[in-house]
Amino acid sequence: MVGRENLVEKAESLMVYECDGYTLERAAPELVVLPRDPDQVARVIRILADAGVPFVPRGAGTGLSGGTLPVAAPVMVCTSRLQTIESVDVRNRRVVAQAGVVNLWISRRVQADGLLYAPDPSSQGACTIGGNVAENSGGPHTLKYGVTTNHVLGVELVLPSGEVVQLGGAVEDRPGYDLTGLVVGSEGTFGIVTRATLRLTRTPESYRTLLAVFDSVDAASEAVSGIIATGIVPAALEMMDQLILEAVESAFHAGLPTDAGAVLLVELDGAEAGLEPLAERVRGVCTRHGAREVRSAATDDERALLWKARKRAFGAVGRLAPNYCTQDGVVPRTRVPDIVRAIAATAARHRLRIGNVFHAGDGNIHPIILFDERDADEVRRVLDAGREILEACVALGGSVTGEHGIGVEKMAQMPLLFSPEDLLAMTRVRAVFDPEQRSNPHKIFPDAKVCVETRAPRRQAAM
Amino acid sequence: MSAVDLPQGVAIDGVVPSRVADAATVDEVRDAVRATAAAGGSLIACGRGRHLDVGEAPARCDLLLRVTGLSRIREHHAADMTITVDAGCTLAAIDAALAAEGQWLGLDAPAPDDTTVGGFLATNLSGPLRASHGTARDLLLGLRWISAQGELVAAGGKVVKNVAGYDLHKAHVGALGTLGVLVEATFKVRPRPPHERALIVACADPRGAVAAALDARDAVEPAWLEAASGGVLGVEGPAAIAVGWLGIEPELDDAERRVRARLATVDGTSVVRALADAEAVALRRRLADFCLTPAAAMLRVATLPAALGDALASVSPAAAESSTARWTAHAANGVARVLADDASSVARLVADTRPRLERAGGSLVVERATPDVKHALSAHGGVFGDPGPGRELMRRLKDAFDPGRVLSPGRHVAGI
Repeated sequence: MVGRENLVEKAESLMVYECDGYTLERAAPELVVLPRDPDQVARVIRILADAGVPFVPRGAGTGLSGGTLPVAAPVMVCTSRLQTIESVDVRNRRVVAQAGVVNLWISRRVQADGLLYAPDPSSQGACTIGGNVAENSGGPHTLKYGVTTNHVLGVELVLPSGEVVQLGGAVEDRPGYDLTGLVVGSEGTFGIVTRATLRLTRTPESYRTLLAVFDSVDAASEAVSGIIATGIVPAALEMMDQLILEAVESAFHAGLPTDAGAVLLVELDGAEAGLEPLAERVRGVCTRHGAREVRSAATDDERALLWKARKRAFGAVGRLAPNYCTQDGVVPRTRVPDIVRAIAATAARHRLRIGNVFHAGDGNIHPIILFDERDADEVRRVLDAGREILEACVALGGSVTGEHGIGVEKMAQMPLLFSPEDLLAMTRVRAVFDPEQRSNPHKIFPDAKVCVETRAPRRQAAM
Repeated sequence: MSAVDLPQGVAIDGVVPSRVADAATVDEVRDAVRATAAAGGSLIACGRGRHLDVGEAPARCDLLLRVTGLSRIREHHAADMTITVDAGCTLAAIDAALAAEGQWLGLDAPAPDDTTVGGFLATNLSGPLRASHGTARDLLLGLRWISAQGELVAAGGKVVKNVAGYDLHKAHVGALGTLGVLVEATFKVRPRPPHERALIVACADPRGAVAAALDARDAVEPAWLEAASGGVLGVEGPAAIAVGWLGIEPELDDAERRVRARLATVDGTSVVRALADAEAVALRRRLADFCLTPAAAMLRVATLPAALGDALASVSPAAAESSTARWTAHAANGVARVLADDASSVARLVADTRPRLERAGGSLVVERATPDVKHALSAHGGVFGDPGPGRELMRRLKDAFDPGRVLSPGRHVAGI
């Protein structure tokens, strides 16, 4: 039906699909289907429904929680070939994009009109809108602009039965329950989103992009709280520690100080007329918290280079160790210094190197744990350390994931956040969309352990 | 839970509850839901009852449960910029607590003194600030509710970024209490802007006003952007816009200057006056309260922003031409409210205009109306009209939360 050229069946080709950005567990699907348009997706799902076959939706495979790992689901349905931006409405600031459209393509498409698509995950050059919707993806600028769910007005959803429903749409305030809000972040467990209607945001007139250099992570994280306390909400407020700075600098030569304990990348945006007084206050807070230097990007190119360094930090870390594992946790913003200290203690306890590059303004941490997969004992310590860091986040009043999702990685941590009643309510809602649990089964919710082939992880692809 | 004597005249769209009770704790809410469910009864929860006229008339109501006793601010971590409050807490009380720390919620629902968090969420109220701050769903981080089974259930959390589990809290926003009795909510808060300013601009007609508003938005991104019949904005003539900005003085000066320059090139517009700080805030509040103007019916029309002028003309030809017509619009969002004075004509107006709006992906909801108007609408798609292709999933969602139809039966779309 989709044509042989849109199927992947050979074992060696299927290996590409055995994991996403989370590489600690692997399982290849038996068949990968790559439909070319939304209608083909619906037809494929209808065939799977008739046969009662479970399936896994997948976009670009940049996810970091194993959300696209096939677990007791033989067929993988990839939306990566649904690449059409179907309509752009500048006056109303709407765009309709198919699921396989890459995040960054949208902002590029509307750039000349002075608009952009605000959610900007670090992987935005590769990740797709379908995956963003499934994971409710974030990114550095979500501090001011909100995450994916704040920018999705409607979706076309292929239910696991094969039925196609349009939820929400370009017009706001549709009567009835906010089903779009439920679908965003449901990690592919409600069916497959094939199209989304997105809200576009005006491109800021001007920016102030500051790089504040600190001798210690402690001082930098205290400065984060200090900036928030002034009543300024920057567009982005990111931290990179020394280990990350070294990796990034050797990869991109952005002029970052490799001898610093940590830097804060602070971006203010808006009308030019209001920016300098705010920038001056941010500089003042950083200096008061011990910043030895606060630089400003003088040109658009300098700004672009700083952001390139930040967003590609994960890839650059590949230079430091054979393997690495990116964690994702959240703490209340004022607890950033506490969690950073807890991470350092965890690293010492488990004899691991852990770098930090994260959305400090949101309290959304991303410790990057370095290891060598050939060392089985080290792999075990990596897993233990990751779990302990997440438990520390919860103990500080936070969450086990801010933007990467639960997937398979964090199912065991769900009971740390939710009671049996909470989880029951969620599984009942899942049954509204997918009564047979055939769409992305065995994800999010801790259930009877299904056997997944767990192999030694290999080098993680640079994002 | 304490039973109270049935206050004189308590009725929800003409439906008189068999009993009224006050709950002051979560346990009391839970016990009331359990007892009602066990007896096969039905329950409507409310705060101060200010917004009970939103939605369809209930199918029945055995117990009206007032949760105004549940009125504490549970946690306000100013530096974390989050606040956790009881469902019976008023928006004014929350605003006072936040103001003390130089913060605000940034959601300007009508009648904050008389609107509880539960009512605010259940009816999905919003005001002019939605143009820049979004609506309740955008700032709601987590929610606790008592389920129809009488269990305390939570979704979301207390941190500003969190993707653990489904966003069940979003389903409750605008659900009119049909999925649970809300008891506690956590919101993201923002710094309270130091200054506010607004510009009132007279326009030739509703179409011209909507177009001028979007032109003003192209010049400088506003914090709020309203169009309205002239009288609502104190302007002679049929229509006007009010453009508002928040921030520090230099950026407000700049914004005002640029919008004036832009509108100087737009035919049929003339700047009437500029308002600063308290005056600008008062105008915004008055616009937020417009939806509560006593009338036979308050219609809420939603279209794409650029199509709103045409919709206003079609919904109420009177609004287009008469200087006595009264309407307001969140121009950046494509949402307008039109006041209908003549009860006898509402059903016909809805029947005539709703299908065209719905075909274009929009909606016409009769947001508030007298019981007789609601009754007359029942043959014309009710107060909500068609909720769209998600209708069946919505019914199934209700069944998943409340199979026994204990909670606010009949008040929502599609007989839910």
